[in-house]
Amino acid sequence: MSKPYKITLEINRYDPDTELSWIQSYTVEAGGILRFVDVLRKINDEQDSTLAWASSCEHAQCGSCGIIVNGKPLLACELLVKDAVEQFKTHTFRLRPLTIAPVLRDLIVDLEKAYERVHKAKPYLIKPAPVPQEGDEYRISQEKLETYIEATQCINCFCCATACISSHHHFIGPNATMANIVRLMDPRETAKEERMEILYREDGVYRCHTSRACSFVCPKEIDVSHFLALGKEGRF
Amino acid sequence: MVEKLAIDSTLRCDVLVIGAGGAGLRAAAQICEEKPETKIIALTKVTSPQKSHTTTAQGGMAAVDPKDSEDRPLFHMFDTWKGSDCSSDQNVIKKVCETGWEEVVWLERHGMHFSRTEESRIAKRPFGGHMLNFGEKMAFRACYEATRTGKGIMDTVWDECLKYGVNFIGQCIATELLFEDDRCIGAIIFRFPEGKFKAVLAKATIIATGGKTRMYKVSTNCRGNTGDGLAMALNAGLPVMDLEAVQFHPTGIIGPGILASEALRGEGAILRNKDEEPFMERYAPTAKDLAPRDLISRSIITEIREGRGLFNEDHNAKHVWLDLRHLPKEVHEKKIQEIESFFRRFVGVDPVTELCPVAPTAHYQMGGIPTNEYGDVQRDADNIVPGLFACGEAAAASLHGLNRLGTNSLLELITMGKVTGRQVVEYLKDAKDPEELPPNAGNITFGQFSTYLKAQGNENYADVRDTLRQTMMDNVGIFRSEKPLLEAIDKLKELRERAMHIPMSLTSLQANQDLWQIWELNNLITVSIIIAQGALARKESRGAHFREDYPVRSNEFNYHTLVYMQEFNKISFGKRPIDMSLFKAKGERYEMFDYIERKY
Repeated sequence: MSKPYKITLEINRYDPDTELSWIQSYTVEAGGILRFVDVLRKINDEQDSTLAWASSCEHAQCGSCGIIVNGKPLLACELLVKDAVEQFKTHTFRLRPLTIAPVLRDLIVDLEKAYERVHKAKPYLIKPAPVPQEGDEYRISQEKLETYIEATQCINCFCCATACISSHHHFIGPNATMANIVRLMDPRETAKEERMEILYREDGVYRCHTSRACSFVCPKEIDVSHFLALGKEGRF
Repeated sequence: MVEKLAIDSTLRCDVLVIGAGGAGLRAAAQICEEKPETKIIALTKVTSPQKSHTTTAQGGMAAVDPKDSEDRPLFHMFDTWKGSDCSSDQNVIKKVCETGWEEVVWLERHGMHFSRTEESRIAKRPFGGHMLNFGEKMAFRACYEATRTGKGIMDTVWDECLKYGVNFIGQCIATELLFEDDRCIGAIIFRFPEGKFKAVLAKATIIATGGKTRMYKVSTNCRGNTGDGLAMALNAGLPVMDLEAVQFHPTGIIGPGILASEALRGEGAILRNKDEEPFMERYAPTAKDLAPRDLISRSIITEIREGRGLFNEDHNAKHVWLDLRHLPKEVHEKKIQEIESFFRRFVGVDPVTELCPVAPTAHYQMGGIPTNEYGDVQRDADNIVPGLFACGEAAAASLHGLNRLGTNSLLELITMGKVTGRQVVEYLKDAKDPEELPPNAGNITFGQFSTYLKAQGNENYADVRDTLRQTMMDNVGIFRSEKPLLEAIDKLKELRERAMHIPMSLTSLQANQDLWQIWELNNLITVSIIIAQGALARKESRGAHFREDYPVRSNEFNYHTLVYMQEFNKISFGKRPIDMSLFKAKGERYEMFDYIERKY
């Protein structure tokens, strides 16, 4: 059995009732294979049930548990204690909420607000191309699909938008922009002009400073900046 | 100091959808397309519908492609009937299997990114229990999007609802159904961020709250799958059906039980015991590793019980191996790479070169709120509740009976979601706006919440939760018998009592995680006792429900179990007959739709 680790989490707390915020430190003994969501649950169970944090699927499929650990936005459900110790070379971890939306309590942010960015990018097919025969599927070659399928794995966890140097100002953000670019690349979309207007408008892709932080932090390992570059180049 | 609980405000709409997952939003999309001016409010517990549990479904959605010269809907109907161990409803089977392909095309036309064949058409893979020509050989029937088919479906129905401007309310639960005489007119809702109760008055209400297997220690379900919709229906005096049928997926990744899709076996993965013997050959000589889930889960547990399993020290759990080492590079890299990444990430195993540790994990409820084949919620076998509809995993129409085939759930939530949407549109034609808030509105909710907020005692939430999950896993799991079930029922009664004495560390209503979790825990305990009582009453083995003391199927139990429970453990049972319309119609090969023997 792998040895237990003694780790310290320094967590940003916020209480909406009193509007007070502070940093609270918890020391936990945890097995190396525990995920950070398990560690947070352990704190709730054994030390402090008031510490609030978010999660849902807990295996990196929904993107509800994004937090910032030692400066890096990531999903708490896929960070194992032993990997964290190795990756950050420390036993002390500073946990903060994502900075992309208002904090509701402690580590929970109002992702509903952040989602408004994605809604603005219109992730749906605005005007689907007709098929030759009613009731038939649209033909998409494997080669064509291959050019954009990676981007469809996005779960809108907003880790990229948190890491992005531009998305706290005027940029709609990497994930929302990529949602638009996917449909520009999708051969079934005919409303290309409307999409280009969204892409190149004031909060659009030219707000991106190509820091490539998005690709660096993406938990789904999507090369987000590649798709943003395609968007800038107008190559769909 | 506990605040006085009250309804903050009242919202009005045409349709209230409780649970904005795949089924709820497919229903909403149908309503939007048929009647775009309909005012719809869709609630979700998570922050966006995109984060629903539907999104975690991996392997595929079954549908017979009319262009396939070998496959036929009739074979799919038979597989579903046989898979259910002769306990699903044939009117529903027919409807769903015949319209599956239409729905695949609907999804594709609305933007889903299905994987493609070399001919640029939608690709298909084999899946457990889906066979050609009444069980002869494997069928290629599961349409998929790599190993994130659920996400593809969820994104698509969410997109469609977004396009039509459905009003999503996130981080929100429905706590109580509202009625005007017998007609459902909406619900009381509670939103996490500001902690306010609101009433929603609606002409029609759809319950689509999904599954509930979080009462099991090892489960694939997300944190919020706690049986909320079922508990709400029970509180309103409505029945639930076949809850004793809980599906354990054979291949949960050791530890928390994260799903490792059947698609892995569809692509050729093999289950092995500690001697690396491919043991499924002994249990299901024809279907082998692609036998139905109930059968494989029991086989794995049998191997472990007979000493041919393995033990993982880190997770303190027994398991068998899933072998993917022999699969072609192309399959590893393109078709199953996401699931493989779970093994690497969560257990540090490389599936290309190493054996993967797996064990059964609680996955799906076949039962739910009983509906007819149109999605109308039933009060009993013969009567419906006007204004109330249900679809998806929360509902039982029932396509799955006591065991579901893989890929039939995504198919069901999409087809029955559409059917339900259509039925709601019909209902709206003559439905009047609810007049006013019923005088007793909120009574159930405030009774519950003030109990939680004022609770005194020294019980501990984590301890009650963990005891519940261990008890259900040990006593009401894959193998069941009378004594452990009776023990579980006693234990559940005790847990219910203990749950009332967990003091709340935070009494604010705003973003109170504790309060939310206690409410969920109570729903889980409520639903758990019904699973246990249903399992005790069904003295036979059928599909996923296996009684060691009654190991064979019995014609005496050829019916669906209905259970009512308004007061904890004050249970009354009812029955609903199994629809045998395919058999009775005397059509092609109708004899296959009788109560047949089930062998794979």
